[in-house]
Amino acid sequence: MARHNLGTVISFEVTRTFKKKQFWLTTLLVPVILGIVIALIVISNTTTESKVDSQKDATLRFTYSDASGRIDPTLAAAFGGTVAADEAQAVADVKSGKSAAYFAYPAKPTKQATMVYGADLGIFDNGKYSSVATKLMVASAQAEIGDQTLTGLARGSFQVDAITYKDGAVSGGFLGAVAPLLFLLIFYVVIVMLGNQMLTSTLEEKENRVTEMILTTLNPTTLITGKIISLFIIGIVQMVVFILPVLVGYLFFRTSLSLPDVDLSQLIVNPGQMVVGALLLIGGFTLFMGTLVAAGAIMPTAKEASQVFGIMMALVFVPLYAASLVVSDPHALIVQLFTFFPYSAPVTAMLRNGLGSLSPVESGIVIAELFILGGIVLRLAVQLFRYGSVEYSKKVSLRTVFARSRG
Amino acid sequence: MTSSLLTPSDTLDRQARPAAAARPDSEPLVHISNFRMDFGRTTVIRDLSFDINRGETFGFLGSNGSGKTTTIRALLGIYQATAGVLHINGRPFAPEDGARLGYLPEERGLYKKESVIDVMTYFGRLKGLSKAAAVAWSHEYLERVALGDKAKVRLDKLSGGQQQKVQLGVTIMNDPELLILDEPTKGFDPVNRKLLMDIIEDQKRAGATVLMVTHQMEEVERLCDRVVLLKNGEVEAYGTVEAVQDQYGGTVVRLQYSGEIPASRHYTVTRRESTYAELTVTAPVDEALILRELMDAGVIVRGFTAGRPSLDDIFVAVYGDQNTAGTDETAGE
Repeated sequence: MARHNLGTVISFEVTRTFKKKQFWLTTLLVPVILGIVIALIVISNTTTESKVDSQKDATLRFTYSDASGRIDPTLAAAFGGTVAADEAQAVADVKSGKSAAYFAYPAKPTKQATMVYGADLGIFDNGKYSSVATKLMVASAQAEIGDQTLTGLARGSFQVDAITYKDGAVSGGFLGAVAPLLFLLIFYVVIVMLGNQMLTSTLEEKENRVTEMILTTLNPTTLITGKIISLFIIGIVQMVVFILPVLVGYLFFRTSLSLPDVDLSQLIVNPGQMVVGALLLIGGFTLFMGTLVAAGAIMPTAKEASQVFGIMMALVFVPLYAASLVVSDPHALIVQLFTFFPYSAPVTAMLRNGLGSLSPVESGIVIAELFILGGIVLRLAVQLFRYGSVEYSKKVSLRTVFARSRG
Repeated sequence: MTSSLLTPSDTLDRQARPAAAARPDSEPLVHISNFRMDFGRTTVIRDLSFDINRGETFGFLGSNGSGKTTTIRALLGIYQATAGVLHINGRPFAPEDGARLGYLPEERGLYKKESVIDVMTYFGRLKGLSKAAAVAWSHEYLERVALGDKAKVRLDKLSGGQQQKVQLGVTIMNDPELLILDEPTKGFDPVNRKLLMDIIEDQKRAGATVLMVTHQMEEVERLCDRVVLLKNGEVEAYGTVEAVQDQYGGTVVRLQYSGEIPASRHYTVTRRESTYAELTVTAPVDEALILRELMDAGVIVRGFTAGRPSLDDIFVAVYGDQNTAGTDETAGE
């Protein structure tokens, strides 16, 4: 059944948030910073690539000695090397600047260090001496083997794809966890970014002494439902704004940003996991938002209410301390406690759901628990708002509120 | 202030208003019977019954902490009554029922960070107006109270008096059939007090029923048709202003004088200043006898009138023994 004036409340709350410069400044700050970072990375990578290209063209002139006998003189000459007649003199020539570099290959290169001497070119550019010395040895070894494939195999340059099964079907592994874990990401973004806004949003009626006028025009349940829905809409808009530069960066500057080429067609979407993830998100969101509304109704000012917000944030992040156990031993006592304790349940259960270690029975229990408790807390929050927020400057006790509601 | 400020504007979208169920005019608009309100172990209202007829202006009087605001909150469904019936238009009030209500609470304010027009439009929408009608009504009202150029200004950028004007505008949006004003002049400057009085009189002319909670007895005498006096959670007096004045007795003699007023078994001095005094007649004697008695005692009488006691006198007589300090209605609940 449509609620009287629900649409008006949502429209007012969403519109006034979008009209605020502060909102857009805060919201756009993240993508702008991301955009700047991406631009800087792209620019610096382009510069580096040009530099590397120009250095590639400029051959390094060096001398070398080869006690191992593995260096191919033809390849060494092609790399810019000439054989050093005397090791000590070669080092002395580098010191005096007569020679750019000298490489001393030992008799047993796999057991002894290859010494590289060079003129100082700075922390980053000094690396090219080792790089050229290594490349020369690798190229000589490949030439000695005489088979590219064999060389590649010896270097471990080959791909391994794993297919695992669960309940007779292919299980997703990492790619299977990505989709359901998106719900956890949404939960964190919405709670962390909007939780405080929810708290102050209901406090606003109280602090502005507008509660009584509002309560004679609409039901408190409608007001609170409207505020929660509005915040959810605002949260989605913020997420889209945040994600936009990441998407642009991925689509157009993937190479410059050294981002992995993720083949989205490889993502495995398990409908069951997605439904469980969505229900955990909605249940957890309801529970946390209801609790924040209740706190807002009891506390006289935003400053005092912010203490409650701190506790709520701690409860959101505490399960992460046991994240390694959630992955490695989901049946550990602490993981079980976090799974079923209402305020740590959303994060823990969503994590386990993503990793595929939340059984259907556990899912059912946690979802039922979140929805039932979320409903109770929301009703309590409405009562607290109705009776607590007309107390204005006073901090209201639950006892007082229930005394008023019972009459 | 012209009456067109307060009468429904042509711009209002009347179709958008949910109409309250039509009820016979003979039925009271507000009906409260055997209302009891306990907060835990504390009883704030013991047994309260009164009706407010359609079209009348009704004064709800009582000392601070006597339960007036509690009664209004219970009437409006903000508090749940322990016992009794509280009806508006024949049923418990619910915002979604569409009763056209204008409520100016004692604790009042608006969304301070929003623009005047946005807040007024929001309340207009909540009260059942279409957006266009709410915007048009708001602009019309703001023009008439000389705030036409403030429509897009944030409320917290307005002066206190300007905010009060906006508050009054929000209260009378959607042509209320019942106007509830809790300490309406509290905190108002003289300009807005005059505006409020004009609003009440215009609303009365437009047929609205007005329920007023106030300590300003001269306003009650000027505006109210009937009153109820609440004391210790029960009705102390109830009826027309004149009937209540008669109930509290006796004739009051108002005297402009010089000299020494003598003690007498015919009256008691209820107010004494250097040249003015009020004597409450305590015996069934003619006022002329009291005048003669005063003059015989050497009092020079410059002015002498006899009449009913003022509501102010009655208020002092009824609540004089109670501590009326403080302003928080619910403090003693």
